[in-house]
Amino acid sequence: MSLRIRRIALSNFRRYRDPFVLDGLTDGLNVIIEPNETGKSTLLEAMRAAFFIRHNTANRLARSYAPYGEAVAPQIEIGFEAKGEAWEVSKRFLKSASVEVRGPNGRAQGEDAEAQLQALLGARRDTSQGGDAAAHGALGLLWVGQAQALEVTAPGEIVRDSVRATLEAEVGTIMGGAAYQRVRPRIDSQFAEYWTNSGRPTVRQTAARDEHEAAQRAASEAAARLAALEQGFSDLEAARARLKVLDRDLADTSDAEQRRTLVGKLDVARSAAQLLDTRRAEQGRLVDRVRAFEDLASRLATARKAVSDTAAALSKARDSRSGLVGELAAAQERATTARELLIRARDTRRAAHTTLDAARMRAAERERWAASGEARRRYAELVALEAEYEATRQLAMTVIPTTVIKALEERERTVDKARAAVDAGATRIEFAGDVGGLTIDGAAAERGDRMLFRETRIRLGDAELIIRPPVGLQGAETTLANATDDLNAALAEYGVESVAAARARNEAARDAVANLRTLEARIAGITPAVTLLDIEAGASALKLFIAGLQEGAEGEGNCEEPDVETLTIASGEADTALAKAEGVDAVASEQLREVEARNAPLMVQEAGAERDALNAAAQLATLETKPEVASLEDALRDARQQEAAALVNLQDAERAATAHDVVTIERQIGLLDKRVEVARAQRTDLEKVIAGLEARIEAEGGKGLADRAAVAREEADAAVANLARVTQEAETLKLLRDTLESARAETSRTFVGPVARRARRHIERLLPGADPGFGDDLGLASIARGGLGESCGDLSRGTQEQLAVLTRLAFADMLLEQGMPVSLILDDPLVYSDDTRLDLMTEILTEAATRMQVILLTCRDRAFRHLGNRISLTGGR
Amino acid sequence: MLRLIHTADWQLGKPYGRFDSDLRAALSEARFDAIDAIGKAAAEHEVRHVLVAGDVFDTEGPEDRVIVQAVSRMQRYACTWWLLPGNHDFARNSGLWDRVRAKGAANIRILAEPVPCELEPGQWLLPAPLTHRHNLDDSTALFDTMETPGARLRIGLAHGSIRDFSSRGEAQNQITPDRAQRSNLDYLALGDWHGSLRVDARTWYSGTPETDRFQRDEPGYALLVTLEAGAEPSVSPIRTGRFQWLMRSWTVADAEGFAAECDRLLAQVEPSATLLQLSLSGIVSLSDRIAILARLDNDLRHRLRHLAVTADDLVGRPSEQDLADLRVEGMIGTAAGKLMSMIEAGGSDGAIARRALERLFVEHQRGQDAA
Repeated sequence: MSLRIRRIALSNFRRYRDPFVLDGLTDGLNVIIEPNETGKSTLLEAMRAAFFIRHNTANRLARSYAPYGEAVAPQIEIGFEAKGEAWEVSKRFLKSASVEVRGPNGRAQGEDAEAQLQALLGARRDTSQGGDAAAHGALGLLWVGQAQALEVTAPGEIVRDSVRATLEAEVGTIMGGAAYQRVRPRIDSQFAEYWTNSGRPTVRQTAARDEHEAAQRAASEAAARLAALEQGFSDLEAARARLKVLDRDLADTSDAEQRRTLVGKLDVARSAAQLLDTRRAEQGRLVDRVRAFEDLASRLATARKAVSDTAAALSKARDSRSGLVGELAAAQERATTARELLIRARDTRRAAHTTLDAARMRAAERERWAASGEARRRYAELVALEAEYEATRQLAMTVIPTTVIKALEERERTVDKARAAVDAGATRIEFAGDVGGLTIDGAAAERGDRMLFRETRIRLGDAELIIRPPVGLQGAETTLANATDDLNAALAEYGVESVAAARARNEAARDAVANLRTLEARIAGITPAVTLLDIEAGASALKLFIAGLQEGAEGEGNCEEPDVETLTIASGEADTALAKAEGVDAVASEQLREVEARNAPLMVQEAGAERDALNAAAQLATLETKPEVASLEDALRDARQQEAAALVNLQDAERAATAHDVVTIERQIGLLDKRVEVARAQRTDLEKVIAGLEARIEAEGGKGLADRAAVAREEADAAVANLARVTQEAETLKLLRDTLESARAETSRTFVGPVARRARRHIERLLPGADPGFGDDLGLASIARGGLGESCGDLSRGTQEQLAVLTRLAFADMLLEQGMPVSLILDDPLVYSDDTRLDLMTEILTEAATRMQVILLTCRDRAFRHLGNRISLTGGR
Repeated sequence: MLRLIHTADWQLGKPYGRFDSDLRAALSEARFDAIDAIGKAAAEHEVRHVLVAGDVFDTEGPEDRVIVQAVSRMQRYACTWWLLPGNHDFARNSGLWDRVRAKGAANIRILAEPVPCELEPGQWLLPAPLTHRHNLDDSTALFDTMETPGARLRIGLAHGSIRDFSSRGEAQNQITPDRAQRSNLDYLALGDWHGSLRVDARTWYSGTPETDRFQRDEPGYALLVTLEAGAEPSVSPIRTGRFQWLMRSWTVADAEGFAAECDRLLAQVEPSATLLQLSLSGIVSLSDRIAILARLDNDLRHRLRHLAVTADDLVGRPSEQDLADLRVEGMIGTAAGKLMSMIEAGGSDGAIARRALERLFVEHQRGQDAA
């Protein structure tokens, strides 16, 4: 049954200083549209004051009722209907505060009146300073002041409790909140000992786990230490067993026996090796011998061949020369004849000339005599000059022709060449130190260098050193001797000692020639031709004249005149004969020279061949003097046989040495020794190890490791059991708490259901398809749309306000069903709503107004003017 | 005539690591105390020789303290202690027994070699020490080759289990059961089996002097053996053990039945020397189960020396009343319903769900009590 406000009268209440009465409120929707500052909110405040604020309170709220700055008594009178009966409440605050309630049971005043009001409206005594909407029961929720609806708030406890009865009746179950509240905190606190809020193990669980882990760790450590000790024991056993084996091995004599045998073998092997070395040396020596014999044989063969070759060459050279010998003799014959003829011709000519000359002298004698005086004078002068000239001429006469010089030089070069060839082939030896008793080719040796050109024997005591220069040297020596002979012959011919002397003489002679010309000029000057005396120009004529003069009588001039002409012819004939003889002689000489020139190389060749033959023969002779030559072949055969035999011996020795290899035996002995050594070392090591292990066991054994391990193991087992127990307890508590929580949630859902159902009816219209979610406190918590949930706080202001109004409406409906006197008063609602939503909301409110009284206080004329019963504050005043 | 004490399996230094430290100390100490008990018994019965048939120590590598404790306690008594290495404390070079020997106790004889020793003139002890943790050969086979000149009594001392001829394959540390007869022994003192056991008239296991595990209810014993040539040995057990290790499986129908069992048990035992391993089974109401567990935790656990409970088979099924009580509580009822359906689905989740439901029930009742 709706609560219906019928009449409100105010005086001295805030802006209503003057008495004001509002009536004409109908059962359904009443709309009070007034501009701001008209007193709409004051009206709602006045209603709350009348119903819920104790008359005799002087709290801040009550004091605020008096108009500002006035000490008056605010007074309110409200006529209303509740539960189908008419009521009236009259309240006066502050000054002479009073309250009076008139209802179907008469009137009541003071506390009684307040109690009646609270009982009627389902409110609680409000002890707050500023007014507590929660204490105002259903109307606290449904009378919504300005801006109060902007948040979706949960209903207060009174409302919840009021509603609960409905809900319990409706869902057929009970919340059992009190018993739950007793049990739940205890379970939670027990739970907290095992789990964190986020469901992770904590406190006792972690303690048990830590304890378990520590125990396990301790157990495994103890077990490990024990295992180490046990390992020590088994190591010790093993070491002792090994030591026993080693001792047995060391005591075993078979190795020593084997070693002795091996040492014996080693001696055999060593002698075999020695024998092998001897055999090798022997065989090497024999090989050398065979080689020496073979060498000798080959040298002999070579020498023999050389002898036969040189003999052939010699005979060939002699053959080729023998053809030339006859020719040479003929040429010499001819040359000799020609020379003799020449000499005769010369003699003849000389005689002719002499005769001629004598005749001529006698002819001229007379003339000369005349002029002999003059001649005598000039002669005296001439004599002096001629003396000088003669000296000079003597000198000039010594000149040797250039061709001769060249020939001399040529010969000298030939000598030098030959000497160089000899020198090159010669052996140079040097004696030094005490050379007493040392003879060279039988002569006592002297200190210093010496060149050897032929085989030379040097003796010292019975020893003889034979030095044989090369074979070619003898030929060179012969060449040298020939060349020297040639050179000396030429030098002797010109009366000089050497070619150099010849050159020097020529120099002096050339100077003399120059002087001669000067002297000749002077002589010529003093010896002009004297036709009378038949003195021709020249000194000789003069001298001849003078000489004749001296010989004959100067005064003689009366001698017979000689036949000069005949004599001259004879002389000419003699000259011609001489010329012929000279020609013949020249040709003969030329021919001889030619033959001789052809003969010379052949002679050299023949000499060389002779020398070679001699050398070869000498060499062969030398070789053949060796004693072994006689039986060389036998010796060689013997040597080869011996070598073969030695080779066989060598192979035998090698076989023997291989069969008894020293290295192998030594290695075997070494192995045996090493084995013993290693065994001893191992034994020492083992004893060390055993001592170490014994020490360790002694140190560790006394610590009771086995006991500790057993204790630790049992403690670990106990820790496992404890952990299992704790885990079980934790699981139990977790399950219990979860179950309690889910029971609570389930119950809450069951209880919230009817609220949600009612709210959904309205909300569906506003937000089609939306599903409201209510919290345990019955407050609207979320809206689910299209499967997505949204917290109410996240919705738009407008939507929040609309939802707040709609949930209030749902509660109002429920309270109404329960017979609670409710009405809906909204002060300035839906300020954020758009037109569409506003229309929808007004429609819902209009519909709600068919079930309960709804009073809208608003300043928005256009939005609400078309609705319901419009009441004007100003008009009613 | 020869009188001796036969004991074995002292297992000195046994760690008991799964128990809390107090109990651990007590149990360890009790094993040493057993030596005193045996020593006193020897003195009382004028026994000059105590034969320990192996496993004197729990491990081959005990703490020094364990050795010193053992040696010093044995030294207190006049008798000679013949110690045989067993599989737990087998003999080896540089091992445990060298350490014991190094303590230089005159009345302790270590039988690390299988060489016969004369206890008294003509009374020979034939030891079969173990040299490995696991021995495939019968260590007592050597008895046949041991020379015991002028023997009037031949006493074998060995450690291992009696060979089971029906089993195939190679078992470890086994001893042929007719060894006494085969080797012409007057008595064969065996160790390894922790309870006293007569194999035949001349072959006995002494058992451990101080029980060390939940296996049998009996406390530990040593055997007082009297031997006479040609006669069967006379063997009588002497209690040496302090603690009793009890195993109980109770099937309970409700809290009252459980309480009765508890009372019965407590009447029979010395609680402070009792260790109990209890298995509970049965189906009870959830509130009964909670009451039973509360009794165990709040009462029995504190009376006994030690209590280990396995209550997984004690199914606490919520009664109709239980469930109805919960159901009126709205959300808690819903949660209980969810858990119930998980329990009915079974599996590992079911087991957790069962515990969760029990916890919910406990907390709910506690909440109601508080309210």
